[in-house]
Amino acid sequence: MTGTGSGVDAEATREEGGMPLVDVALSCPACSAPIGESDRFCEACGAELTPAVAPPPQAAPVAVARACHECGGVVAPDGYCTQCGAEAVSERDHFVETPAPWVAAVCDRGIRHSRNEDAMALHAGAEPGSHAVLVVCDGVSSSTDSDVASLAAARAARDLLTVSRPQALGTAATRRNATARAMEVAVDAANDAVIRNTTAGPGNPASCTFVAAVIQESQLVVGWVGDSRAYWLPDAGAGQLLSVDDSFAAEQIAAGVARADAENGPQAHAITRWLGIDAPDHTPRTTSLDLTEPGWVMVCSDGLWNYCSEGEAMSVLLRDTASTTGYAPLDLADGLVDWANAQGGQDNITVALARVGPPTPVSTTPTSTAPGTAEAGTTPEPAQAAYQQEGTPDGNVLS
Amino acid sequence: MATFSAEVFQNEFLPDGGTDVHAIVTVTCSGAGEAGQTDSGEAGEIVIVDTSGSMKGENIVAAQQAAAAALDQVLDGVWFAVIAGSHLPRLAFPVTPEPAMVRMDSQVRAQAKAAVGSFFADGGTAMGTWLRLATKVFASVPTLAQRHAILLTDGINQHESPQELSAAIEQARGLFQCDCRGVGEDWQVAEVRRIATALLGSVDLIARPEDMAADFEQIMRQAMGRGVAEASLRVWAPQGAEVLFVRQVAPTVEDLTPRRQEVNPLTGGYPTGSWGDEARDYHVAVRLPAKSVGQEQLASRVQLAVGDTVVAQGLVKALWSNDDTLTARIDPAVAHYTGQAELAEAIQDGLAAKAAGDTTTATAKLGRAVQLAAQTGNDEATSRLRKIVEIDDADTGTVRLRRAVSKLDEMALDTASTKTTRVRK
Repeated sequence: MTGTGSGVDAEATREEGGMPLVDVALSCPACSAPIGESDRFCEACGAELTPAVAPPPQAAPVAVARACHECGGVVAPDGYCTQCGAEAVSERDHFVETPAPWVAAVCDRGIRHSRNEDAMALHAGAEPGSHAVLVVCDGVSSSTDSDVASLAAARAARDLLTVSRPQALGTAATRRNATARAMEVAVDAANDAVIRNTTAGPGNPASCTFVAAVIQESQLVVGWVGDSRAYWLPDAGAGQLLSVDDSFAAEQIAAGVARADAENGPQAHAITRWLGIDAPDHTPRTTSLDLTEPGWVMVCSDGLWNYCSEGEAMSVLLRDTASTTGYAPLDLADGLVDWANAQGGQDNITVALARVGPPTPVSTTPTSTAPGTAEAGTTPEPAQAAYQQEGTPDGNVLS
Repeated sequence: MATFSAEVFQNEFLPDGGTDVHAIVTVTCSGAGEAGQTDSGEAGEIVIVDTSGSMKGENIVAAQQAAAAALDQVLDGVWFAVIAGSHLPRLAFPVTPEPAMVRMDSQVRAQAKAAVGSFFADGGTAMGTWLRLATKVFASVPTLAQRHAILLTDGINQHESPQELSAAIEQARGLFQCDCRGVGEDWQVAEVRRIATALLGSVDLIARPEDMAADFEQIMRQAMGRGVAEASLRVWAPQGAEVLFVRQVAPTVEDLTPRRQEVNPLTGGYPTGSWGDEARDYHVAVRLPAKSVGQEQLASRVQLAVGDTVVAQGLVKALWSNDDTLTARIDPAVAHYTGQAELAEAIQDGLAAKAAGDTTTATAKLGRAVQLAAQTGNDEATSRLRKIVEIDDADTGTVRLRRAVSKLDEMALDTASTKTTRVRK
């Protein structure tokens, strides 16, 4: 998909030798203050320090589907459909994760590309709204082994964000800062994972984008490097694009070019920042949002947003899709991937969704264009604590 | 235990909007064992010799020797019989009033040879009746899994109508295989080819009676080396696709397309008869609905099935690309066998036109044949063609029909027309 930006000095690689993985145990998960390896409480904020534990096992990507993804026919042992002859998708070419009923993602090769260089990794607590990590990485197709690198990166970041969970001490602001700090550490880990999976020798080294959303109680923190995106799509009102692409197109938009023109220009897909051994700077930009109303957190690759860029349009698309798929996150993500494929599937497609609030919207909203959404709101539930929160509803760029 | 393998030669790349996929699939069998000696069941052989009046003289003596040579090759334990063919065929061995076969052993072989030695030439020629009798004789041994016959004739099928012969061929189809040989120049290649093609056998010319024994010995030895009684080629094509043709292209060209038997709606079965240790090449052409550039799909599964068991499979693929350097290439095996199939057709059409007195068509067709034989490196065909036409320029296919042509040379060209050379891999 994306090609690395031509205007960036590719020689600005990382410093020699020094790329130690920053151990999360060395900074307070609540306030990010430095801590000693054996400290039981943070000197700065007093948070209790629990030793970092291994992340809970995540659902492995599903095995090769026995039903053909094209026609639903039976796939023969030779790997092709017995009806239409379509090649069965490999585990890497199409996989899903549903760590909890309220969080799901679908990662798909799309139609035009011969392999899937997108990747995602999720974590979610069982209780809706409690804690979720959604990571999407989009491998740069002009580089070698970026499919392997992107998956390793997504998983490394997910694992770190899963364990570096700020404790329920301190204010919302300190938790937000701690999560933003954890995001940087997670990107370091993701970058190291990419480098570990970079083949030595000539050729373009592996590289990928990064976007992660962390939901903790009713706080959302998003971090990104490159042009993979995070959206907040409330049930009522227009959706918001939370991230700002590190791309040539975004630079043009910032300079005053209309979004539609910039995103369809000749260099629209050139990214200016990425993860990899040749990345000059991989510090994520982050933003946060207090989730005060029901809706969806979406993290996606450009395989989806190329066809639907604006936050408002994404809201409409989500509602339209839900009118046929229903509101189960996996079905909805699957429906969005199908929609992108129906638009041409020009790129790999990844859609990760977390539901905030009751499982289905309480009522239809005036902005909805979906004809079938009304039926979904038949079981109204009172808005509960999971998303009532202090703070402004607007994105708050931290760095 | 016989083992099969399949290898596919094709260019899987199709241009944008391209629909037709061609592939050569080589199926190889090894460890076939011997006829009737394997788990697949018992084997039966019938030697059918023309004993009509025209065989009088050196032909009948040569036929006696040839039948005896064939009997020498029949393995002990294999069921066999000998039929003396005329307009009223008779079971020459075993000598019984009812159709029957016997198991070969040394004592029976001596008796059979004695019976063959008493052949005498008398009566007319009605090959359909020979086939009907052979069908009944094979049916007398229900345990047979493998049935094969050798048929020798020297003349035209004068004593029954073409319709009667057709009916007899249809009755025998699928029940036994039959290799056919014609001795001398008084038989019709097209007529005998009809029998051989329907009964999955070969057709060839024995120009001189003294060559008959060696030929029969070779046919029977080959038949005894076929330990796999029956196998079927299966061709799967996806829903919405069309199988344009299925052709055996080596060792001989045979169009299998009309022999399709439905295995399931997407899979056709094409009988291939028995197998020894050998390789056969098949040309499969499938027309697909075009997909967009970058998409890939399976165009065909080409399988060999013994009974209901698939023993080998080759996958034919289609991958749409807008890279001309990939899509413009024609696979060398596909090109070679396409040329060889056209060569066989050009020779047969050319000889038919020549026989009908259409010199213009004959010259054009045989000229094209000369050109194709040169292009595909079929030197044997070139030397046979040279006996029929003067070659002015092989590259352009410029030829002149020779004035005096031996009938036997024409028949040799005709019978050999379907024999192909293997592609140089």
